[in-house]
Amino acid sequence: MTTKKWLKTPKGYVTLAMLSFLLIASIGSKDINGILNASVAVLVSIIVDIIFNVIKKRTWSMPDGAIITGLIISLILGTTSSFGIVAVTSVIAILSKHLLVYRKKPIFNPAAFGLLLSVPFFHTEQSWWGAFGDLPTWTILFLLVGGYKITTRINKYPQVFSFLGTSFLLLFLMGHFNIGDAVDALRAPFINATIFFGFFMLTDLPTSPAKDKDQVVFGILTAATGTIIYGLFGGLMYMFIGLCIGNLYYFLKKRSTSKVSLNRSDLGNTRVGRYQS
Amino acid sequence: MAKMDKKWVILCSTAVAAVYSAGFISTEAQATKVDSHYQAQVSNQAIGDSSSTVTSNNNQAKGNNSSIISSNSNQAKIDKSSIVLPKSNQTKRLYKDGTFTGMGGNRRGSIEVAVTIKNDKITDVEISNFDMHYSERDVVGLPNEVIQNQSSQVRNVSGATYSTEAFQDAVQEAISQAQNA
Repeated sequence: MTTKKWLKTPKGYVTLAMLSFLLIASIGSKDINGILNASVAVLVSIIVDIIFNVIKKRTWSMPDGAIITGLIISLILGTTSSFGIVAVTSVIAILSKHLLVYRKKPIFNPAAFGLLLSVPFFHTEQSWWGAFGDLPTWTILFLLVGGYKITTRINKYPQVFSFLGTSFLLLFLMGHFNIGDAVDALRAPFINATIFFGFFMLTDLPTSPAKDKDQVVFGILTAATGTIIYGLFGGLMYMFIGLCIGNLYYFLKKRSTSKVSLNRSDLGNTRVGRYQS
Repeated sequence: MAKMDKKWVILCSTAVAAVYSAGFISTEAQATKVDSHYQAQVSNQAIGDSSSTVTSNNNQAKGNNSSIISSNSNQAKIDKSSIVLPKSNQTKRLYKDGTFTGMGGNRRGSIEVAVTIKNDKITDVEISNFDMHYSERDVVGLPNEVIQNQSSQVRNVSGATYSTEAFQDAVQEAISQAQNA
């Protein structure tokens, strides 16, 4: 596949968007640490991914998924995070991608899973600097433009709208009834995090549903779980926990569908057997 | 999978934006807290004894040298001035005795500390309110560090820059409150 063709694939779109955000946020914050962290995260992710592919004796393919995972991790972790923490978070993410699988596809969004575990394990401070959390408010436009382009490309509007709509509705109710800290969640850097998360993490193709109805349930479930956790406990893990619950829903859905089709197939085979006998 | 019609995309986007705007506007009154922290326009309130006694038992008189020094700690990666209380004795006390509160904050929350000063020495530092979105465990050792160093400058907990900065700002604010004119 040529580079031009690859750039038109969903992974190409996301990679290009993440690289653009990395560059814009680094220039805006006049900080090169983010680029250094991104280099470490991407390198470690690629190495671990290749090792697993070799172990599993898979044919060579471009490790673009690992590149995206590394980029997302580095855009979310604070730029002052040590290389070690960035590297270990990336390793956890890629491990989850290869070990927690169902029908050769990861169950959990790798970046979200790695970032979720990095909070209790390494007390990471997630800044969402790559979502322009520390830059002027208007820079959110970059997220929206990139987000809409990708969502259009991969047909994930039902999921994105149900996620954002449910999140904002619940936060509005929280603010109205003075429950939790909706004030922070509706403003930078948290609103940047919600938009970035909704457009670029929730929509991960292998770990999110394709059918419109499933997308809506997935978006609502992720948003409701995350926002309720935020309302009760605050913190920064709420969206990742929400996504893991959404991923679990999708996994169970796939498994139940698979079992039903298997049962039908068995039934069919039995009938065929009877008829043949 | 069929693509969503553009009209629906616009309609749904407008609906989501409307819900967000409703939430934003309804919480606007409470948002001053966030803004004030981020803009570092926090007000500090001195509590306890704010005696302005100027007597001291100083041996090495250094006059009224300013005790605000600039610091470039590599560990902390924080390029900020920090207030260091004088280790030597002076002819005149630079700080009032008492307990002073200070607040430090950023877009990710705020930390309030109560700093007790006696005879130009920090004798106690307490985190009186922790309202960061990060874990309080990241900064739990910093009060002791301030007492040991007699300085608002503390070692940065790896990666926990936002909490450390807010804590450091809070201590600086408290010490500034204690400064004699």
